[in-house]
Amino acid sequence: MPHGLELVPDAILAGRASDGDTAAFEALARRYGPQMRACARRITGSYADADDVVQESLMQAWKQLDTLRDNGAVKGWLLRITGSRSIDHLRRRKVHPELDAEHEAAADGARNHNNPESAAVNGSRVAALKAALARLPEEQRRCWVLKEFGDQSYEEIASALNISSDSVRGRLARARVTLAREMEEWR
Amino acid sequence: MSIPDRNLECGHSLEELSTYLDTGDIPDPHHLAECPDCQAALASLRNLKVLGTEFLGEEIAAAGKGTDDWMQAILDNLRLEVRPGRTIPLRPEHPGDTLSETEGAITALVRAVGDSIPGIAVGKCRLRGDVTVPGAPVTVEVQLAVLYGHPMLGRADELREHLAAALARHTELNVAAIDLAVSDVLQPRPATPPTPEEPQP
Repeated sequence: MPHGLELVPDAILAGRASDGDTAAFEALARRYGPQMRACARRITGSYADADDVVQESLMQAWKQLDTLRDNGAVKGWLLRITGSRSIDHLRRRKVHPELDAEHEAAADGARNHNNPESAAVNGSRVAALKAALARLPEEQRRCWVLKEFGDQSYEEIASALNISSDSVRGRLARARVTLAREMEEWR
Repeated sequence: MSIPDRNLECGHSLEELSTYLDTGDIPDPHHLAECPDCQAALASLRNLKVLGTEFLGEEIAAAGKGTDDWMQAILDNLRLEVRPGRTIPLRPEHPGDTLSETEGAITALVRAVGDSIPGIAVGKCRLRGDVTVPGAPVTVEVQLAVLYGHPMLGRADELREHLAAALARHTELNVAAIDLAVSDVLQPRPATPPTPEEPQP
């Protein structure tokens, strides 16, 4: 591809990657890695965990590329794997309470209004949304992040969280209502 | 406050509106179109959606670029193992020797031939037919994107010729046909600098 990989559409890169072209796979990883990392970080709470998740997700993607029916849909597929892996990562962490306590402390920090990221300091609507998101119940927050960051369907979120699609629908609605109300108050 | 906690005064639930936002489906579309309560709540949810997209954009930018060290570290750790595919027997010069090449080597050859032709990008390549049987007819299917401004038919013919020559030189496949499928026309690189999500080559 003499004109550069960044120009080449997903479907072509995914087709090459499924034939074993590591350069094409790496181009896809570089294209969607930042969004995978952003999504994983919002779920796991740290970039360190997110990087583990992204690495595991890419490994899984490489092994399962031949199961991808529509090569043009590779972005959603990568994000779906990232979402599931992020949740798995949290479940594994539950087995190690000392690690969990550490992460809870970090999460509490994010919820703290004196945090530099908080709306009061930053003053932007996005910062206010970020703070409101951090105050949501965990299951609602996960549904919201998987939907808005991972662009997943209700069924896909349900499968990642091991709950019913109706539960996803309800939690997502409650998350949105709370966030929308808080954003109206902020304005 | 345009958005109540659970149900609107008109009796509709916010869950219905939230689902409508994702699927476009709602039990009573006529009511939705005319109900000021529903419209106000929907507007509020849509504002949140827009803000969420903005938030995601900032988070992706904060996560870094695909060319950053963290991404490189991840890629270095992956150590992607090769996919050999099927084993294709070759005729040995000395009886008793066993020679073969892999399907993966042939698709790599197809990509290399495609990449040497300006204006095209080769995607998926499939070898149809039983390549494990010497002399069995094989159809080579190649997915292809052509850069905008390049003559599609001319480039396709050129690729077919080069592929036929390369496959005859480097393999013993009995190539019955080379089928090309142009799946995309690539737009030329924009003059503006790429967005943060677009990795640099």
